Parts: sequence; structure tokens; C-alpha cells
Amino acid sequence: MNLSQIWAIVKKDVVSELRTKEMVVSMFLFVMLAMVIFNYAFGAEKNDLTPYAGGLLWTAFLFMSMLGLNRSFVHEKDEGCLDGLLLSPVDRSTILLGKMLGNLIFLIIVQVLAVPVFAVFFIEVNFLGRLGQFILSILLSDIGISAVGTLLATISINSKMRDMLLPIIFLPVSIPLVIAAVISTSGALAGAGSPDELQQISSAMKFLVAYDIIFLLVAYALYDFVVGE
Amino acid sequence: MDVVDGMDKTVNEVEVRGLTKVFGRRTVLDKVSFDIERGGFLTLLGPNGAGKTTLVRILATLIAPTSGEVRISGLPISDDSAAVRSKIGLISHSPLLYSDLTAEENLKFYGKLYSVEGLAGRIDELLDQVELDHRRFDLVRTFSKGMLQRLAIARALLHRPSILFLDEPHTGLDPHAVDILEGLLAYIRRDHTFVMITHNLEKALALSSSAMILVGGEIIFKKSREELDIEELKEIYRQNVKGEGA
Repeated sequence: MNLSQIWAIVKKDVVSELRTKEMVVSMFLFVMLAMVIFNYAFGAEKNDLTPYAGGLLWTAFLFMSMLGLNRSFVHEKDEGCLDGLLLSPVDRSTILLGKMLGNLIFLIIVQVLAVPVFAVFFIEVNFLGRLGQFILSILLSDIGISAVGTLLATISINSKMRDMLLPIIFLPVSIPLVIAAVISTSGALAGAGSPDELQQISSAMKFLVAYDIIFLLVAYALYDFVVGE
Repeated sequence: MDVVDGMDKTVNEVEVRGLTKVFGRRTVLDKVSFDIERGGFLTLLGPNGAGKTTLVRILATLIAPTSGEVRISGLPISDDSAAVRSKIGLISHSPLLYSDLTAEENLKFYGKLYSVEGLAGRIDELLDQVELDHRRFDLVRTFSKGMLQRLAIARALLHRPSILFLDEPHTGLDPHAVDILEGLLAYIRRDHTFVMITHNLEKALALSSSAMILVGGEIIFKKSREELDIEELKEIYRQNVKGEGA
């Protein structure tokens, strides 16, 4: 594994995206649309939605991430560039990490833009004191989504029904991650009211760390097999 | 030892033994065996669906064979694909270039993947050779088909491969672009081993040291340039490539 090669793949994806903005813009628009729909669904005279904010946030982020993951390999496949990557004498794990970091960066960019808007719509408490916990729970969840999503997007891109296949295989695998992400993010937004809640949030964070490690290792071990034929 | 232009022509650069590839129930390549000497130029002919592209993709390590053995520069492709890939260049109908990057950015990207030494100088040299120096800062998506193919040649040669696989490189090129491609191939001919898939017999035979016809995944004809009767080759080709403009 070579860091400069990983960085070359990340930089290539970021420069391409900065020129087209098609992935980040479509992901951001999706999140905004989801928030508008949530806002209308809960009505104008809604009560404080802060306890449910984690669930709303991750519903939007989960589907938004699938948009990005699907797009991240479309260019590689449609322009034949995946063959260019596979022809080069780099470890398959280098390709995995490069694409994964690119996906992670795009997720974070959209989240940085979307979270302030989300806070205005749905959060009625001051959670700035727990901002570190909030960012950590988002980052840990993003790493898991990027690891498992990059692996599964690579599998689905070789299929004729790739647009349908990714959600079918990604959603079941990501559900445990999303449940832990909702618990930890809700805890960061609303704060822990009791020792039991604090325990639950702590367990969710530990689960996120374990999920990230397991799926990074799984993706690393399997990528050689899935990226070939 | 037969040494020409600094290359030992008695050594096989490509060795293929009993190569078989099965997709589902379809046998695309059936116990294919052949060698290409170092510095050789094998032209691969055959009808659509004969297994030519599959054969080149296996040689380029892009897909794994079902059975059989392939050695590139003496290295089995199954054991050390990264070492093999550093010796290979591929030019196909798809240029393998990123349309939202400039010509220079594309070459820099691939140069880093191949850890090319003196990358900036190598890029200058290649862009000059393919007559694209004046377009180096332009996005690849603004390039014509001929320019794309020339840049694809620069990409394929960037890491100084010893073997070049060319999968119908003339497809979609205008006459000027074909002339540039031919000139480049003639220029690099003596330093490389080639495998070229083509339907254009005249262009193929101009540079070839041997020709092979593949039909239904089996080799039905293979002769070196010295043994080759061009009329015989044309007749066999016509018989097997009916209805494809042959």
C-alpha cells in the first residue's frame, strides 16, 4: 500500500468532482428535499423534534450516501477507467482506500452544508456543548458507510442492474450501523437524561467503532476478489 | 543468441499454455497455446465473439483464466500480477482517460500509480510525440476521438512498458489520426512486444512478425511472417469472418 498512490486516487476524484459538482450537488439537493418533506410531515405546529432529530438526520444521510456511492464508480465504469486503475501495478487495497476516502470526503462536505440547515429546522436545544460528541458520532458512522458502501458499490457496478442492486445489498448491511448512528447522534443532540441513556449512547459509539474496524477489514480482505471480474 | 536492436529475440515475452476461459456455460477460449518472442508483433484476427478481447484481457491481467498458464516476461500472471502489470500497456477502443481531467492531469495521475521516475519530463516527451502538447491543459472531454486515442497511446507508454496490447486501436479514427497512430507504432516498434487485435488485414500485416486467427475460442491459423502466405491468410480470414465486411 502506497500513500502517494492513495492520495492520487483521492485527488483525482476530488478534482473531477470540483469541476462537475454533480455528485455533491445531487446529494445536497436530496438532503434538502428530505428536510422540507420532514418539515411538512410534522406540521407547522410541531412540538420539539430534537429527540427524533437523529433518526430524521440519518434517514436523509443514508439515502443521500447511496446516491454518492453509486455515482462514485459510474465514471470509472462508463469511461472504462476502472480498467485503467486495475491495469496499474497498485494493490487493490490502494484502490479501495482511495475510493473510500473520496466517498468519505464527499459525505462530509454535504453534511457540513446540510447540518446547519437541519439544526434550524428541527433542533430546539443548544447542543454546542456536545458538538464534539456529535461530530465524532457522524464521523464514525461515515467511515462505516464509506467502507461498506465502497465495497458494495464496486460489486454492484459490474451488474447490469447496478442502480437497483446497491440499495438492495447496502441497506440490510448498513441497518445496524444506522441504528447505532441514530442513538449516538440523538444523544449528542438532546443530551443524555439518565445513566441508562448515557450507557446506551456509549454502547452505540463502541458499536460504531467495532463496525468500522470489522468492515474496513472485510473490505480490505475481499476487495481483490470483487474488483476483478 | 539472436540479438536485434538490443533485444534478445530468442526469449519469449509471452507464453500461453492451455488457456481456457469459461463464462457460465460458454467456453470463450479453449486450450489456447502460443508464444510471442521478445520484440515480436502478433496480429490477432477473427470474427466478433471469437475470444480475441477476452484473450487480451487475460494477458493484461484484467480477468482471470479458468485454467491454463500465462507467463509475461517469464512471470506467471497468477503469482505476481503487480510485477506483470508494470510491464504491460493497453490501448483499446476505450481510452481509459478521465474526461473531467486535463490531458496533463490524466498522465500525472497514471504516472503516480505507476511510480514513473522523472514524471514531468516523461509527460512533456510523450505529449510532444503524440502532438498534444498544445492541448495539455484542456479537459479531455473536449478532445476529438483521434486526440483521445493519441492521448491513450501516451498513457499506455507512460511507464515504459515492454509489451503493448492493442485492441482495435484504429476504431473510429480519421485518416490523419490513423497516420499518427501508424507513425507512432512504427517509431516504438523495435523497443516493444506487441499483440494487436484488428480487422484491418493490410494495416496488421505491415508491422506484424506473426499472425493468428482465432475462431470460436480456438486457434485455427498461426504463422510467422516468414511462413506467411498473405493470400492464404486472406482466404482463411474471409471464410471465417463472413458478413463482417471482410
